[in-house]
Amino acid sequence: MPDVEKPPAEPPADPETPLEQLTRHWMNERHAPDILPAQDVLLSSLLDHIRRQSDTIQLLRGDPSSSEEEHIRIMLAQTEVERVKFVVRSYVRTRLFKIETYARYIIANEDVQTRITAAERAYASRHAHLIDRHFYASVLQSLPESQAGLDDIPNFIMPRMITEPETTRAVFAHALEDVTVRTPEGRTVDLKQGSLTLLSFAAVANLIASGQVELV
Amino acid sequence: MSDARQYGELATQLVTESRRSTQTDTLLKYNDSLVRSIIREQRDLEKVAVAHVLATADALTPPPALMIIQTAIARNKRCLLAYHNHRISFLCTLYWSLGASLPPLLSAESTSIRAKLSPHEVDYLRSYHASVMTFRSEFSHELDITASITQPPKDLHVLVHVVRDCGVIQTESGSIDFRMGRRFMVRRSDIEHLIVQGYLEEV
Repeated sequence: MPDVEKPPAEPPADPETPLEQLTRHWMNERHAPDILPAQDVLLSSLLDHIRRQSDTIQLLRGDPSSSEEEHIRIMLAQTEVERVKFVVRSYVRTRLFKIETYARYIIANEDVQTRITAAERAYASRHAHLIDRHFYASVLQSLPESQAGLDDIPNFIMPRMITEPETTRAVFAHALEDVTVRTPEGRTVDLKQGSLTLLSFAAVANLIASGQVELV
Repeated sequence: MSDARQYGELATQLVTESRRSTQTDTLLKYNDSLVRSIIREQRDLEKVAVAHVLATADALTPPPALMIIQTAIARNKRCLLAYHNHRISFLCTLYWSLGASLPPLLSAESTSIRAKLSPHEVDYLRSYHASVMTFRSEFSHELDITASITQPPKDLHVLVHVVRDCGVIQTESGSIDFRMGRRFMVRRSDIEHLIVQGYLEEV
């Protein structure tokens, strides 16, 4: 096979495989303080793939005529399926953890609701309801009527009862292409492709969603 | 309310308990009597506050004493909520670390956790479990989202040593009777929950 292909001046951007995409979203999700937009199309295509692979593996394993070599291949495929499942699980659970933490914030905020899936929305409202009920049953119902609300203390005396994501937290942004970041304070920062920069999450939230920047 | 005590002293005891629980990573017994005393203090404070309001109804600015009582009420209430919130988040962490299953938490014999819970906390755990199970069913065709996420899988199979009898378990290669003291080579995904719950040990 002739091996004379010259490296092109600009290396062609390899399209990411679905698993690479999910891995990127998984890392972003793990590092971001806020809930990132749901990747339901990507996730459901991967889940379909997992199911098809598992079915095929089941079929091949049951086939007595498959050879030793095929058995090894089946085992490799099976291991890979388990590894993909691990990433999916960790990704889903990371989001679930944030949804629990910010449940009351989410149900009061329509902007966040557009970023999560229907199942996650349902979970958020169930969870917020659950917490309200627990607080009411164990504390609030025994207090005098004027104190029985969950969030009735003026904000100048106590911080708010609703936990909000800390969007100004610093994150390490890895630029996947040359981009310009506008920080909330109005400064602009140029990120070179491949560079690592410590920035506030709010400054790069849009670029993460568009895939120009990833968190590491 | 005894005059010798400062406002909010009991609430401080309560949050100290939460703090101790975090530091030792153990769940302390639900302090029902302290919670009740603080709720009593809240009622007393409320009465004093109402008396102040009535006594100074025609004053232009509220008396300083009222402000102090208000702050004490707010602080006590926040401490109560924080204590309860701390406990349920501890319980939820424990729940997930046991592979999202209730029996190890709520069974009467195996651990002493149940004895430390208030009845409301038991209710909370049950509803929480139901909610998690509803969410899990979204993925039930492909994978179990409640399985472990601490270690990425390296091998399909694992050699396990049975430390507690757990009866006959269905695995993909047929059913296996896990008797104490035996060793088996099994698929990790089939028995992972048994490792988490302490029936099996990896060799």
